[in-house]
Amino acid sequence: MSLSNILEDWSRYRKGHEQGGFHDYEHMWGMAIDLNKCIGCNACSVACYAENNLPVVGREKFSKGQAMHWMRIERYWDEPDLGDDRVSEFNQHGANFIPMNCQQCNAATCEPVCPVAATYHTPDGLNAQVYNRCIGSRYCSNNCPYRLRFFNFYSYYEESWPAPLEMQLNPDLSVRDKGVMEKCTFCVQRIRTVKDKAKMENRPVADGEAMPACAQTCPTSAIVFGDLLKHYDPDTDAPETKVVKTWRAHQVELRVTRQNKQNPDLRGYRVFEGLNTDPCVMFLERVREV
Amino acid sequence: MFNTLQLPSGHITHRGARFVNRFLTPSLFWLAVIALVLGSGAARAESGVPNAVPPVGTHKGDDVPQPIEFPHNTHADVNQINCMYCHTYARRSKVAGIPPTSKCMGCHSVIATDKPRIKKLTEYWENKEPPPWRKVHDVPDYVHFTHEKHLKRFVFDNEGMQVENVAEVCAFCHGEVKKMTVAHKVKPLNMGFCRRCHEANEGPFDCWKCHK
Repeated sequence: MSLSNILEDWSRYRKGHEQGGFHDYEHMWGMAIDLNKCIGCNACSVACYAENNLPVVGREKFSKGQAMHWMRIERYWDEPDLGDDRVSEFNQHGANFIPMNCQQCNAATCEPVCPVAATYHTPDGLNAQVYNRCIGSRYCSNNCPYRLRFFNFYSYYEESWPAPLEMQLNPDLSVRDKGVMEKCTFCVQRIRTVKDKAKMENRPVADGEAMPACAQTCPTSAIVFGDLLKHYDPDTDAPETKVVKTWRAHQVELRVTRQNKQNPDLRGYRVFEGLNTDPCVMFLERVREV
Repeated sequence: MFNTLQLPSGHITHRGARFVNRFLTPSLFWLAVIALVLGSGAARAESGVPNAVPPVGTHKGDDVPQPIEFPHNTHADVNQINCMYCHTYARRSKVAGIPPTSKCMGCHSVIATDKPRIKKLTEYWENKEPPPWRKVHDVPDYVHFTHEKHLKRFVFDNEGMQVENVAEVCAFCHGEVKKMTVAHKVKPLNMGFCRRCHEANEGPFDCWKCHK
């Protein structure tokens, strides 16, 4: 029963959205990140560390690329050097920030390669990682085009939370040990709590009720989080969620590899969508004065 | 695959036969086996919770010594106190919880005050320190289990189920606690145990429903 369940579901997950893949979603959690609002303050990253029991690995391991930041701010410089006084490794002008967390791809490249089905797609549209199932083959990490999967090369528990700092750990999710892959979960523990609460009260989950730590912390509200399936419902007069509104306003659609926009001035885009990963995170391009 | 499995089981049968020859007449042995099978069947049928298939599986749990040997049988069986009178958080929280000492003292400031265990309890109460109760039913940290939703499904939203009989639902995972003194673990509480019940009662099957 269980094995046939897994195999049946797995073959569904393996299919892309063109072939009628897994699409009987209950929710599809998604994001819209406005890069015009992002000031690169790293608050989202810090909030993620606090919420999700992420270990601080230190400078040496960071330089080896073993940092465990589920949410990272990537920096790019888009202006050429303006003169001798401004030549440096990092220009004073033209820095761009882009917060990158797991894109929760609907056709995730990490999922079909897991040898033990430790990563799979939930009916919530989330790309799940089951820690106690993971054997640490790191195939998923190699297959992720965004480099947003992080591997526990060491057991960080002792050095990252020396007593009594273990008291700050979030009890709603496990502390991962050596040899386990981990990634952004859209704060599934918060989503779970919200869904449980809504179910106890026999009502649907309201927009803005579930909120990951990064979106909650963002000082400029650059990150909008919500359910991508909650469109305007004429029967119940339920309004569409804020995230659906943003996606629609920028004419970004799910399940396409190339957005068909009537208005080229609209800023919305998804990272690497040409790879047919169908990510659930949409970015709004930064507009600069030149 | 099964051929290789027969070897040890054959061995066990041989030992069992020797045991029977030595201590029991064969007819008595089979009678005992039949009685055992019937008895367990009857016990399973006895679980009178409507719209629910109780999970199967047993586990011989270790005894967990408690600071005070709390007699569950006196409270839940003899005096018919509802489980949720003391474990009051079960219906509204993830954990069922240990009652505060004040709840014990609510009754035991007047009832059975001369018994040694109550004297010990009163001592804790007067010293203003909680008895260091130990957890018996503990699931691993990577498991998300909430009492609230299970009680909603099997008791409060379950038509024909009386809240007075909640102990029958508790017994799915905790065994017949009302027959025990200090509670000990009698169900395996592993993933197979959870899955069997979830499959029989159409609970959620998604990994992330329970794993965190």
